[in-house]
Amino acid sequence: MNRNVLALLLRPAPGQNGVLALPVVAFGVVTTLVLTVIGGAQSFWGWTDEYAALYQGLAAIALVLLVVPLLSLGGAAARLSARRRDERLSTLRLLGVSPAGVTVATVTESVLVAAVGTLAGVVGHVAISPLIGLIPFRGEPLGFAAVVLPPLQSAIVVAAVLALAAASAVIGLRRVVISPLGVRTRSDVPQVHWIRAVLAAGAIAIAFVLIKVFPSVGGVVLTIAVLAGLFGAALAMLNLVGPWVLKVTASRQLRRADRPERLLAARIVLDSPKAAWRQVGGIAMASFMAVFAGTGVAMISTMSTADAAAADVALADDIRTGLIITLIGSFLMVAASVGVNQASDVLDQRELHRSLHHLGMPLETVDRARRRAIMSPLLVTAIGSALVAAVLIFPLIGIALITAPVSLMTIAAVVSIGIGVVWATTWATRPLLRGAFRMA
Amino acid sequence: MKTPAIEAHALIKNFGTTHALAGVDLAIHRGESVAIMGASGSGKTTLLHVLAGITAPDGGSVVFRPSEGAPIEVTALGESARSRLRRERFGFVFQQGLLIPELTAVENVALASMINGIKRQDAVQHAASWLAALGLAGMEERRIGELSGGQAQRVAIARAQATGAELVFADEPTGALDSTTSSEVMDALLWSTTGQGRTLVVVTHDPDVAARCTRTIAVRDGRIISSAVAA
Repeated sequence: MNRNVLALLLRPAPGQNGVLALPVVAFGVVTTLVLTVIGGAQSFWGWTDEYAALYQGLAAIALVLLVVPLLSLGGAAARLSARRRDERLSTLRLLGVSPAGVTVATVTESVLVAAVGTLAGVVGHVAISPLIGLIPFRGEPLGFAAVVLPPLQSAIVVAAVLALAAASAVIGLRRVVISPLGVRTRSDVPQVHWIRAVLAAGAIAIAFVLIKVFPSVGGVVLTIAVLAGLFGAALAMLNLVGPWVLKVTASRQLRRADRPERLLAARIVLDSPKAAWRQVGGIAMASFMAVFAGTGVAMISTMSTADAAAADVALADDIRTGLIITLIGSFLMVAASVGVNQASDVLDQRELHRSLHHLGMPLETVDRARRRAIMSPLLVTAIGSALVAAVLIFPLIGIALITAPVSLMTIAAVVSIGIGVVWATTWATRPLLRGAFRMA
Repeated sequence: MKTPAIEAHALIKNFGTTHALAGVDLAIHRGESVAIMGASGSGKTTLLHVLAGITAPDGGSVVFRPSEGAPIEVTALGESARSRLRRERFGFVFQQGLLIPELTAVENVALASMINGIKRQDAVQHAASWLAALGLAGMEERRIGELSGGQAQRVAIARAQATGAELVFADEPTGALDSTTSSEVMDALLWSTTGQGRTLVVVTHDPDVAARCTRTIAVRDGRIISSAVAA
């Protein structure tokens, strides 16, 4: 592509500050969270005593549980950056600019925006590390030095986020390059097949049997590792079946929709069940963790302090702390995911919202539809995931601990907080929608 | 005797130092189709927005005279009352349809009626009849992305009519279409408005579109410089 054309495309247009700021903030949040999660996990790697392997195993589980969805969130941030130029780039393709030219322009911009965001993210990580260092494990704070990530590892994370931004930009643009008209008209309808449900049900059934078998055949660390693997696989299966469940639920809601916002909300989910899942999928992990946390609290409350060794009590306390940290991380992730995706959607549909305002459509109708399109899948996902987690944990601890009042209360509290955080995030993006409506 | 559907008196609208409307007086009568023409920046779209209550003028007044009920001074209404007026009494067709991409054709048309409190089943039935009347029978369940530009524009026309709007505003309704499709869309627009005794106001650059209307108003520098009735 001509260098002058590239410079012209990369130049921010007047009034685009908000549009540019969003992906920068999104990349910043992602980078801060990834660095902090890895930084926190690395603090356990210096330990060498008999419990070290257990702590490291649990930290690794938390790391996987948080970093994988964070990478997905990074992908959403990259799409936010790339999508805002979809139309212009489609037009360029229609004007005859080569696919390589379109790709270079978009990747360059996405990486530049991501670079600013990740730099801010590194600063954010260093800034919050003193607070993270105050979190106690084994009765004493971890300390700033233990949780702040060294420069080399930070540089690797930054490079990974930038690579993710570039890769997402390329993948996101594949449709523009392949079919410029497809993006302009949104004629492609994503399909979600029922075979996903069959595969997921089968996998969860296998996980149930394996969980029942494993505790009796291996040592503690091996058992935890295997169980963690199985729970991870179950989460992966939830990711597979989630979009299908959302599609089926939205189809039922569509049939029964008697009000405009309900009709619109159901159609928004059906338009792309995968996108709906990407927004709220993080709550699945939080629900999973909530069931662990709830049954864990119930179990701890049944332990007699006199009977338990001091180290075991400390371990139980630390596991609880770890669960809380992981839950907070997952809440932040879901909130960031909803925020990024909502901001992206509102920006993408500014022209449409303006026309709806011209037609006299109330802002409330569109806003309620938008929030319903998030909260309804969120509830389905949160409850469904908690049920799957309960099914998987049942062979280990039995129904009594799962249904113990303290367990149910903890689960309800955690899931409610997660849902509340997302609800608050949907309100936080309302000014963007209002702005689009007022842009008459 | 001609009865006015909407009247404007001494309309003024400024954007910074730009005088988009510099004292416009206008009366559009029931059953008329009026084309507003002018160069880019002449003030024609601002005039349409002020007439329709989308934008509030800095000076002057707009009065809508419905076939039933008392006249409504559009410029005296607040934002939410103007939104309601647009939703319940006016219809709109934009250059690119601007339909909701997630909804099907029939749902796009029915949504406006549903917002006005009509039951979904009735709204869908009514919407389907409008789509059929505009030559889109069998396409009710298609998503907007699966329609051609001309078909999408006819869905937008059906949406503008489904609420029973007496007055339809169209902003460059054929601007993104080829000449054949443009002619077909104008056929549909005129049939569904003046053909049913309703009133149409069209902002256009296209002389062929203007020639199909009963009157053409030329706007320059925020003023009406001519008003010509078709022969």
